[in-house]
Amino acid sequence: MTTTPTATPKTEAPKVAKAANPKHAKRDESTPILRVDDLAVSFDNAKGPRIQAVDGVRMSIYPRQTLAVVGESGCGKSVTAMSALRLVPMPPGRIDRGAIHFDHQGKMIDLVKIPDPEMRKVRGGEIAMIFQEPMTSLNPVYTVGDQIVEAITLHQNVRTAEAYALAARAMTDVGIPDPESRLKAYPHQFSGGMRQRVMIAMALACEPTLLLADEPTTALDVTIQAQILELLNELQNTRQMAIMLITHDLGVVAENADVVCVMYAGRVVEYANVFELFSNPLHPYTRGLFASIPKMHGRLKRLITISQVVDNPEEFKKLPGADRGIRPWWPWHEPPKDLKPKPGPAGDYYLQEVKPDHWVGVWRTGAVEDHESRAPDLQYRVDDDPDKPTSLKPTSPAAG
Amino acid sequence: MAEKSIPALMAPARQRDNPLTRSVAGICGMVVLAILVLACVGTLPWTLGTPAGENQARYEQGTLAGALLPPAWAPHDETEQAQLRRFAELRATEEIVRADPDAIDHPAPTEEQIRASTPRPLFGTDKLGRDLFIRCLTGGGISIGIGIAAAAISVVIGTLYGALAAYIGGRVDALLMRIVDVLYGLPYILLVVLLAVAGDAIVSEMTTKQAARQKWMEEQTVLVLQSEGQTDATRTTAREALDIRSDLQRELRDRLEQEIDAGRLPRLKPTELSPGQRKALEVGILLVAIGGVSWLTMARVVRGQVLSLKAQPFMEAARAMGVPGWRQFLLHLLPNLLGPIIVYATLTVPQAILQESFLSFLGIGVQEPLPSWGNLAADGLKELNTIKTRWWLLLFPCVLLATTLLALNFVGEGLREAFDPKRSRN
Repeated sequence: MTTTPTATPKTEAPKVAKAANPKHAKRDESTPILRVDDLAVSFDNAKGPRIQAVDGVRMSIYPRQTLAVVGESGCGKSVTAMSALRLVPMPPGRIDRGAIHFDHQGKMIDLVKIPDPEMRKVRGGEIAMIFQEPMTSLNPVYTVGDQIVEAITLHQNVRTAEAYALAARAMTDVGIPDPESRLKAYPHQFSGGMRQRVMIAMALACEPTLLLADEPTTALDVTIQAQILELLNELQNTRQMAIMLITHDLGVVAENADVVCVMYAGRVVEYANVFELFSNPLHPYTRGLFASIPKMHGRLKRLITISQVVDNPEEFKKLPGADRGIRPWWPWHEPPKDLKPKPGPAGDYYLQEVKPDHWVGVWRTGAVEDHESRAPDLQYRVDDDPDKPTSLKPTSPAAG
Repeated sequence: MAEKSIPALMAPARQRDNPLTRSVAGICGMVVLAILVLACVGTLPWTLGTPAGENQARYEQGTLAGALLPPAWAPHDETEQAQLRRFAELRATEEIVRADPDAIDHPAPTEEQIRASTPRPLFGTDKLGRDLFIRCLTGGGISIGIGIAAAAISVVIGTLYGALAAYIGGRVDALLMRIVDVLYGLPYILLVVLLAVAGDAIVSEMTTKQAARQKWMEEQTVLVLQSEGQTDATRTTAREALDIRSDLQRELRDRLEQEIDAGRLPRLKPTELSPGQRKALEVGILLVAIGGVSWLTMARVVRGQVLSLKAQPFMEAARAMGVPGWRQFLLHLLPNLLGPIIVYATLTVPQAILQESFLSFLGIGVQEPLPSWGNLAADGLKELNTIKTRWWLLLFPCVLLATTLLALNFVGEGLREAFDPKRSRN
């Protein structure tokens, strides 16, 4: 971390004070910072039944870990993240059931249930969020300095002058040169990549323990995308921050994620560490995703589509334990005949640990009922893996 | 000769397009408006003031002898010339008498003196001989003042109402906007009339009470004077006695309090209304009435803006940052509304002026003798008949009103142009 030229000893004071903050004490990295447990969110639909955006999602994030949530539009990625901050508009939205346990300075709290004033302290202070649209995520009528300072003063008890020094340092941290003069600039004077840096500076100004990055690089071009992700990675390591990275770019996942959670139609279909998932995708939908990536080598008349893979019944028989009657869950299929649903919503589905540290969403058949598994929970970090593979090559079932 | 060129990087900064000077009409409007406002509002202290030694304010001064004179620069017909001559002679004679009040026999005014005392009304005079120019200035001040004040009221109510409705959303929004729809459906004239009549009733009740108290005081004084041996005491002499004898006044005031406490006389608020205050109150009621009905459009416009702003990512970012609700509303939403609010406020001012003039024209707005462009035009219309046309009485108030409205609309359009986000910024 570089200090700004104006950071006088006086403005260094809050930094020392912050180190004593329990939030920033050396964190126990072996307990998850966020655990989503059987979360279900639905939206009111004027013309028909409620829309179930998220149904029975389970996941967990450890400090200094990046969990990538991937899936196509409308699969519930963003709603899951928004629920963690209770930003889902209610009405029409509603959290039907489930809990989101968050490690709030050593104490587990349920973000679904805590009262609003406490939620406001968590927002920005403990959990920060960056959005897909850097062009419109900044208020056009204020200078970026004012906006970062507001974020700081909302959660930290500092004077305005100190807040400006902190804001300048936050700008330096995200790689914006000459922060003093840039603080006085308005958002329209920045380019998209710079604005996303400002958003990150704003999100990180209060040193959150968890960052929800909702497609942070989708609106940026590839070079800026790489820079932003590199920046996030660096900041994650220096601050022990956990990141939930929502994306539909598998390249971004391969480069940055530790653990990957694939979602479809509001449910988790596959959950594993990034190498395991890329080298050994078990759910047909995941295989379809990988198959649809165009390859550099070999000529194809037509590109492979996801539906080409998932429409093939053979694909659904490849799961370990298929012989025992474990079938991948797929909303477009008829449920198998030996389905033994639990009463209540999403009772026909189960997130089963089909092999160690690899979960797949399956039908709740009799075979599954006999082998109840633990909830997805992976304390895996790529950086800590001594024998990590050198490259990621998704297997292509259609080609094979 | 080769043309000199410089690299793009070293080119001088491009002249910035000043958004306020984009619209020529807007600038013309602003200049005209500034002149009119300065002339009308700036001269209000003078036109409403009373010259030393007279008991009427400037805007209500006039003599019947000088009634209905055309503007000095306009052609006069024979009767008008004769009337002007007579009036000038009269004024010249008055001048001589005033200079030497003790002389028994005054000389007839010379031709030169008559010419010097010939009045030169710029806009002519009305049927009571009052100078129309001064009345137009006063009326303009009152009209513009009411317009701006009513627009301010409507902006405050409309902005808060519309913004709150959209910000809270859901059923509250639906309910608040249905109320606006219902108010839209009612003819606004009816609302204004109701409000103005209600205000009038309050004012007149207060003045009746005050009159009743005054009457009682005078009657009691008559009794006291009669008991003191002054048998021919009337209420007129009683009034004079009250003015002189403070002991009597004090004693009667104490008894008045007792009477009021006993319920035999109406109770009055401690502040009694002077005629000036009464006029101010009437104007105040009028502007509250106009402001109170013209916020509806403002509320709808602001609601629409807030609805779209609310969905902007930066509002969501503010929420994700943990900004409290009121702070999101006041510090993140309202500043973004400033452009449309300013534009609509400028467009509401002419509307309010027009409504005020319309109401005054109908006789329920500003009351005589206080002028406004509306009741001046109404007066002028009465003088527009087939036998004799006093065109100046109608023309000048209408031209001034139209010019002001046009100027305000141009300014509003200019501002709209300046704040238009679709115009490029550089």
